[in-house]
Amino acid sequence: MFKHIFINRLKVLLRNKEVIFWTLVFPIALATFFNLSLSNMATVESFELIPIAIVENDEYDKNFSFQTAMTDVSQGEDPLFHTTLTTEEEAIKLLEDSKIDGYIILNPSVELIVKESGINQNIIKSFSDTYMQLTSSANYILSSNPRVAQDFYNSLTEWKTYTKETPLTSSEPNNLLSYFYVLIAMSCFYGSTFGNNEIMYIQANLSTLAARINIAPVHKLKIFFASMTASVLIHFAELLILLVYLVFVLNIDFGTKTGLVLLSTFIGSITGISFGAFISAFSKKDENTKTGILIGITMLCSFLAGMMYQNMKYIIARNVPLLSYLNPVNLLTDAFYSLYYYDTLKRYTLNMALLILFIAIFWAATYKLIRRRKYASI
Amino acid sequence: MIIKVSNLVKNYGDLRALDHLSLEIKEGEISGLLGPNGSGKSTAINCILSLLEYDSGEIEVFGKPMSPDAYSIKKDIGIVMQNVAVFQELTVYENIDYFCGLYVGDKNRRKNLVMEAIDFVGLEDFTKFYPKKLSGGLLRRLNIACGIAHKPRLIILDEPTVAVDPQSRNRILEGIVELNRQGATIVYTSHYMEEVERICTRITILDKGKPIATGTKEELKDMISISEKITVETSAITPEQLAKINTLECIASAQYKDDLLVVISEKGKNNITEVLNFLHSEEIAYDKVITELPTLNDVFIELTGKELRD
Repeated sequence: MFKHIFINRLKVLLRNKEVIFWTLVFPIALATFFNLSLSNMATVESFELIPIAIVENDEYDKNFSFQTAMTDVSQGEDPLFHTTLTTEEEAIKLLEDSKIDGYIILNPSVELIVKESGINQNIIKSFSDTYMQLTSSANYILSSNPRVAQDFYNSLTEWKTYTKETPLTSSEPNNLLSYFYVLIAMSCFYGSTFGNNEIMYIQANLSTLAARINIAPVHKLKIFFASMTASVLIHFAELLILLVYLVFVLNIDFGTKTGLVLLSTFIGSITGISFGAFISAFSKKDENTKTGILIGITMLCSFLAGMMYQNMKYIIARNVPLLSYLNPVNLLTDAFYSLYYYDTLKRYTLNMALLILFIAIFWAATYKLIRRRKYASI
Repeated sequence: MIIKVSNLVKNYGDLRALDHLSLEIKEGEISGLLGPNGSGKSTAINCILSLLEYDSGEIEVFGKPMSPDAYSIKKDIGIVMQNVAVFQELTVYENIDYFCGLYVGDKNRRKNLVMEAIDFVGLEDFTKFYPKKLSGGLLRRLNIACGIAHKPRLIILDEPTVAVDPQSRNRILEGIVELNRQGATIVYTSHYMEEVERICTRITILDKGKPIATGTKEELKDMISISEKITVETSAITPEQLAKINTLECIASAQYKDDLLVVISEKGKNNITEVLNFLHSEEIAYDKVITELPTLNDVFIELTGKELRD
């Protein structure tokens, strides 16, 4: 009997285009869209050389140390500036046309001319200040104590750091990954449409089909468990397809703990399906309304977990920390990120434990709601 | 006794849907539950099937108390719902196989039963069709096949011909009679009196959750005073002549409207002769004369004072 119900349920679910769209096609499409837009964001965030101009005058021609310093910061391994050597008139014009962020004129001191304030202008200013400080120190030391000149030159190339950076992880921090982790978590919760279907199909007061099934000589919980098994199997398979797509097509890094990533996905799938079953058993609305409610709640939870605006996750964590723990989409997102970023499993275990608690609550409530065998009205 | 319902009371809040309903259905009958929409037919069926809670009363099926986990009873019941209840994602064959499989575990036996059900409802050419590709009539036939494929002893059909074309309706009604001939006891609910009159061997008329009459169609018609309705096409009756017709001994009532004289006669013989003799004696010309025997609607009107389809 279990096999008969299970196999037919697989057929029904696999042929339900609407469910397959929301639980497989839509997340893949969204992941592709994320990848396109986030790769642009990564490009935008990469450092671009700051365009500046140096006025070529007599002071510049005489100042070899400044010329050397400019060569160092304009060429080399990690250049800072894109430098144009020009006349003062031309430099003014370039600045007015916003083709450069500022220009430097030696007069004989270093003068920086900018049009507005900003990060680039601060960097140019910082460079010119440092240059002036060093040249001033060098001149003072050379004039007052020429014997230590060699030590002074050595000290310029020997930077000492008095703090030690201890990384929490061997992984590189990557904020963009959390967009994809919340996407997987959202996909897990789109599994709620499966849970909704299973309840609609077993509660005689919700559909005629369920009424017919309730009349059959089979315990309805037996039918329910066979159907739920089919739902979990299909949904988990869909999530695996999504994971494969993310890892092998979009090159999203999930770290090295593959087994735990799969376990988290499985737990996420069950949480999503259980959530859908609970909402469906709780509400007597029609199937489409329930689907709308489920998708709405999932999107809201995903938004709060940082899907549309990444900082939202941190805003919630800072201002309403309890909500972070009550949002299962956030817990799952955090679990994926913990697996990627942290070497220890402390935070991951907490997230998983809370998700399992959610599953237990959803199942207990659903059982209480669907255990009745007769209805007040149909 | 296949079904025995005693003093069944079911309330929906303040509305009493079943008011001390008692019902007995014997083996081999085609028992009709006739009543207008909202008379309690479907509620009664859902209570009998243990889908609905009820306030008081007792229900026995096959001589045993009916309950949601009475699987030994349920395995011998087939149900055809008022609304089509099939999976849109399964083909005709798969749907019948699925529902049959809830009753019959053996795969080979089930295969034969499914094919028999398909033959029975005439869906041989549509086994691989999905429900959305079927016409309304074919869909109703699929609905029936899903309910009867496991060859139940008791088949309950709740308004199975709603929104069905006349051809499919005939086929469905003939099929129900055939199922009964093969040994199944049938409970048939409808608000179409012609259908109930045509196939049911015993009829219970329901109104406001109460059974107002039970018997064969002949017994039900014998319960009322009128025996026939005589309609005469004529254009020449004066009010005085109509008044005289109303005084004739055999006449219960006479009305004249739109060139039609409609006479309801009381029980008795030669009523039509009496009416025609009067027309001859008054030299009233007439064209057609139509006589009709009383229908279940007439029974319903006389017992409740309203039309069956109100």
